[in-house]
Amino acid sequence: MDNIVPEQARTALDAADRARRQVAEEVGLPRGYWWAMAAGWILLGVLGNVLPPWLAGVATVGFGVGHGVLAPRLLDGRRRTDRLQVSAAVAGRRTPLVVVGMLLGLIGVTVLVALALDADGAGHAGIWAAVLTAAVIGFGGPEMLRVLRRWARA
Amino acid sequence: MTKAQFDELIHPSTRLSLVATLAAADWAEFAFLKDRLQLSDSALSKQLTTLEEAGYVATERRLSGSRRKVRARLTSAGRDAFNGHIEALRAIVADAAAPAQEPPA
Repeated sequence: MDNIVPEQARTALDAADRARRQVAEEVGLPRGYWWAMAAGWILLGVLGNVLPPWLAGVATVGFGVGHGVLAPRLLDGRRRTDRLQVSAAVAGRRTPLVVVGMLLGLIGVTVLVALALDADGAGHAGIWAAVLTAAVIGFGGPEMLRVLRRWARA
Repeated sequence: MTKAQFDELIHPSTRLSLVATLAAADWAEFAFLKDRLQLSDSALSKQLTTLEEAGYVATERRLSGSRRKVRARLTSAGRDAFNGHIEALRAIVADAAAPAQEPPA
């Protein structure tokens, strides 16, 4: 230990920190999860348009329950790939909250877009709003989560 | 609190990066470690064997489809050694940053 100068120690600490950050970047949800979510979003938009309101409500609750069953295993973001499992300490306890907050935000966006389209006189406003949100989720879900995690320091 | 303990086995840069990666994960597959650390199969195997012999790393072979995959994880002894080593490095840096003490008159 005597022959380690502070500069070497600092370099070693940087290397260890870099390795940790590389693992932290692996936090997220599997790609298939986002596409399944997008498909579910469109399905709900269609059902909301063709079904009676009470039945559309049941479908929405079913979607929520299905998500609730699947989510506990995935929302902590530690199993994005099958190549490693990020430790709980690195994934952070706030990641599930960020995912839930993001989904609630997307629901809000869907409702607002549907209302705007409806006010503009568009037909099937709910479906178009759902398709728009689904595209955002499918194509940009992982990136959005990454940015939100950075903002929330999760 | 982790006791600062410099570890000669962990300190070489490749091994430090490997142990730091494993310390941030519950487990990691050989292929992931190889990609991240940019090592050849034989170089990574050699490092893992060294750490395994010291009791710092445990590996397991799993059958995935028709392929055999190797997973590595840090043992609790390895985690303690890594944490102690990081503390020792921090102490070296902190000592260097501390203002020099005035010799007694």
